[in-house]
Amino acid sequence: MRYGGDNRGRLLLIGLIVTALFLITLDLRGVSVINGVRNTTQSALSPFQKAGSWVISPFRNFFSDVTHLGRTRNQIEKLTAENERLRLALQNRKNADIELEQLKGVLDLAGKAEYKVVSAKVISQGSSTSFTSTITIDAGRTSGIRPNMTVISGFGLVGVVKTVYSGSALVELASDPSFKVGARIAGTQQIGILSGQGSRKALLQLLDNTTAVKVGDVILARGSSNGRPFVPGVPIGEVTAVDNSASAVTQTAEVKFYVNFSTIGVVSVVVRAPEIDPRDALVPPKPVPTPLPTVTITATPSPTASAQE
Amino acid sequence: MISRRFFFAFPIFIFFYIAQEAFIVQLRLPFAGFSLLLILTLIWAAMSTPEIGALTGFGAGLLMDLSQTTSGPMGHWTLVMILAGFLISFLSYGDDHLRANPLNIVFLVIIGVVASQVSYVILGFLLGENFGGFSRIIFICLGTAFWSAIVTPLILPIVSRLHAAVFGTASRI
Repeated sequence: MRYGGDNRGRLLLIGLIVTALFLITLDLRGVSVINGVRNTTQSALSPFQKAGSWVISPFRNFFSDVTHLGRTRNQIEKLTAENERLRLALQNRKNADIELEQLKGVLDLAGKAEYKVVSAKVISQGSSTSFTSTITIDAGRTSGIRPNMTVISGFGLVGVVKTVYSGSALVELASDPSFKVGARIAGTQQIGILSGQGSRKALLQLLDNTTAVKVGDVILARGSSNGRPFVPGVPIGEVTAVDNSASAVTQTAEVKFYVNFSTIGVVSVVVRAPEIDPRDALVPPKPVPTPLPTVTITATPSPTASAQE
Repeated sequence: MISRRFFFAFPIFIFFYIAQEAFIVQLRLPFAGFSLLLILTLIWAAMSTPEIGALTGFGAGLLMDLSQTTSGPMGHWTLVMILAGFLISFLSYGDDHLRANPLNIVFLVIIGVVASQVSYVILGFLLGENFGGFSRIIFICLGTAFWSAIVTPLILPIVSRLHAAVFGTASRI
């Protein structure tokens, strides 16, 4: 029999809905209790996330590993024990190498621009079921991190610190649809606003419609006053397509981020901006094409029969 | 009686919440992944009365709102989950034909997951949030539905047993 409901049930439902609306209203009005509860929850979850990161990291690329194994079931069964042990050791080594490489890259970038940074490991990636692009790092207030600080990797801009907890911090990625950053084109110094699009591509809107932007132009962060939320000169990405339609009010371009957000393992938070704007010093060098080796074959005439005689 | 059920159910939801926040989100699954807590709540609601469904949705929604990855204000997921929990249990409660077949519950949960996400987006737009383009939203909804279709049959027997243990009923699936 289908449930018909009663007055008590309806009253409960209405009560719960009113409570939810009340919570929304309180949060939108900026009541600090709500933020306090969220911060406490995050602080409590942080150790679990660190443990989860430690447990999950060797198996994170499980699907791609399985796809590329390319071995038969019998072979896998024979080698399972040894393979598992070796794979785990290799994965740990690979993770360490990748993290080391990422750390080296980000420190090189920070050193070149004279940023003072705090490096941190990514301990969690935001669930996309909430339609946001975020990561959690294992450094927080105790490490000197504050909201609205720039987060970089060895390739360039990663995002901005959104919320800080005692031992961790939530970073809004540059790919998040609500992310916006003032940007300029290296060399020409044209300025515009770059917006995340939920993927590795971003949209750049130039403020001046009279100047030209072309594919391959490098986009850098323009910087904010006092270096927060954005320090100047951080590479963001490269222009991959330009919308030159005459009817457009502003010129727009598609930008591909330098950073691959799905593989970030180590990042750095810029805790102090440089005293001098690095301008275009951080523009990544263009890849130099490897010259193809030229092979010259010289035919040596074989001695003829008459010559042999 | 209600407090006894609450004290039994609370650790179960907390356990699934921690599992979601500490482990599931770190798997970086393709096609947007899934929300274990959302699936648990909808299965739980499908096996409960509408009042319990709404209360379960309220509790789970609060936990989801406390998640650091939630962009919306506190109460956003709560409101969505109250309605989702109530509607799922309203549709399934008293309908023995529906409850008799686990596939019906799986189907109901998948629809519930997609409907919850769509409601979350619509409510988010009303509250002035930005979720990206239409194609991205569709991709995430379809991806979550795909993963929910895989995960729901796997955890349904476990949740069914836990639900039976809390409510002391023999109506296990």
